[in-house]
Amino acid sequence: MLGFTGILIALIALAIALAALFLIRPSVTAGATGKILAFIGLFILPVLCVSAGMSEQMQRSEQTRFCISCHAMEPYGRSLYVDDPNYIPAQHFQNHRVPADQACYACHADYTIYGPLKDKLKGITRIYMQYVSTPPKKIVISGGYSNLQCLHCHAGARSFEGNPVHVAIMDSLKTNQMSCISSGCHDTVHNASEIDHLKMWRPGQ
Amino acid sequence: MKLGGLGLPTLLRIASVLIIVGLVVEIVSLCWIHPLAFVLFAFVGASLIGIGILVYLASLVFAASPSAENRG
Repeated sequence: MLGFTGILIALIALAIALAALFLIRPSVTAGATGKILAFIGLFILPVLCVSAGMSEQMQRSEQTRFCISCHAMEPYGRSLYVDDPNYIPAQHFQNHRVPADQACYACHADYTIYGPLKDKLKGITRIYMQYVSTPPKKIVISGGYSNLQCLHCHAGARSFEGNPVHVAIMDSLKTNQMSCISSGCHDTVHNASEIDHLKMWRPGQ
Repeated sequence: MKLGGLGLPTLLRIASVLIIVGLVVEIVSLCWIHPLAFVLFAFVGASLIGIGILVYLASLVFAASPSAENRG
């Protein structure tokens, strides 16, 4: 990741150097070579820098530390370290059932074709709430948590498909009529309001 | 005021300044992993670079086109 960022910064530095040349001496473009150089410096390189920058920013926005860097998300980040296997996010994070550095994204991403775009638009409204208006005291997912996000990994898995409870309600689960996190099933999720009273797991201890 | 009236050097300078500022904003956004860094890049950096590119392309169309007298 640092390698790609390094290459991108080098590319940006080159683009800045070329753009600075045309800022100081625009007469360079009088010749054919200057015109080609201007096309590279003021069109091709900036387009490349924006495209690569957008790709890098999209990848960064999938990182756990990106998600929990907002104050309102901080208790949700801490809930990943709860020392209790009943806590579904903590269990997935601590046992690497999801990539630890993409823990939020793995379970909250919209895995449909326009999902990443929808996620970004939702994210921008949350940034607005965080910095312009007021974030709600209790954070809820609009429309509820979709089973599709669980089934993205669990569907087809032997431990999931072979469980008699899952088999009995499989249609309801797949059509999202019954939530995986409904009461009596996997209903202990982040429980962020109680986080200060819970025992925490400390990696390496 | 017509865009072509500004002249090629002025338009190139405007494009260069916009692109340089946009690229500096992009570097700043890359040094920071935070939702605001994404907003800074997407809404400020990319917009400045985009406008700079458009000014450069406009300079090719308007300022670099030969005048009526030169066309004969």
